[in-house]
Amino acid sequence: MQEEQEVSLQQMEGNKVAIISCAGMDKALGSVARACAFKVIERLRPNETVLICIPPLVADVKPYSELIKKHPVILIDGCAERCATKIAAKNGAKIRGRVFIPQSIQKYGLKPDTASDIGPEGEKLAEKIAEEIAVQIDKLLGK
Amino acid sequence: MTLATGKVGIICCSGEDLPEGTISRVAARLVLEKLRRDETVTLCLPLFLAGGEDERAFARVFPTIAVDGCNKKCAEAGTRKFSGKPVATIVVSEIMKKYPRLKAKSREKLNSEEMELAMKVAEEIVKKVDQVLCKKNKK
Repeated sequence: MQEEQEVSLQQMEGNKVAIISCAGMDKALGSVARACAFKVIERLRPNETVLICIPPLVADVKPYSELIKKHPVILIDGCAERCATKIAAKNGAKIRGRVFIPQSIQKYGLKPDTASDIGPEGEKLAEKIAEEIAVQIDKLLGK
Repeated sequence: MTLATGKVGIICCSGEDLPEGTISRVAARLVLEKLRRDETVTLCLPLFLAGGEDERAFARVFPTIAVDGCNKKCAEAGTRKFSGKPVATIVVSEIMKKYPRLKAKSREKLNSEEMELAMKVAEEIVKKVDQVLCKKNKK
């Protein structure tokens, strides 16, 4: 428990951008959203970002509910339901950017396969969106 | 999502914080697409939590199994809050204790060991689905 608290405090220090991704189960779009988030968090900007898990955010689990008020937030919405946006707005997030996967599909002409396996085009799409998000993060952090 | 009779809803946490969240997601998809494709439907937890009335209505009327990655049990708590108590809750981190040789490390793509773990979780889900549908020992 103490370890968890220490991690939480560490996460809250310094300039970070919070990422909230859809994680939807129904469609390949949700899988692409998740893939984008992981590419940013684990590879492109690991030291500049915190990943916010939607279910505990709704359950008001700290530190998630505090992090989205403290740090600028970039949202990744998988489909027109826009769950990430709705939940973030309802919980008082400082929303500073948003990605809408269907729009990115049109922009890049890359179509993901299925929810279980987004396929090579889906991977390429996630990579391109993740790079866009990384640029947005740098701007938000004044880099 | 279309409301359908004779189905069991699977609502999984799909959390991004821990590898267990990814395992919950993959296990749920294994059940939905391979193991019990005609008997199960997926309920999207973010949509459910954001106010998706179809999802909430399904879980009010039909049996629903929550698959949670960790002991925060967000899928169970969300279902309970908006629709009613799930008929069963499966917690990945608890199942992992039964298989100490199988470790979960990746949140993005599962390796063969993590896939084996996802299959173990999927088998637990299937047991619950069959119990709910009174199909035990028939398959």
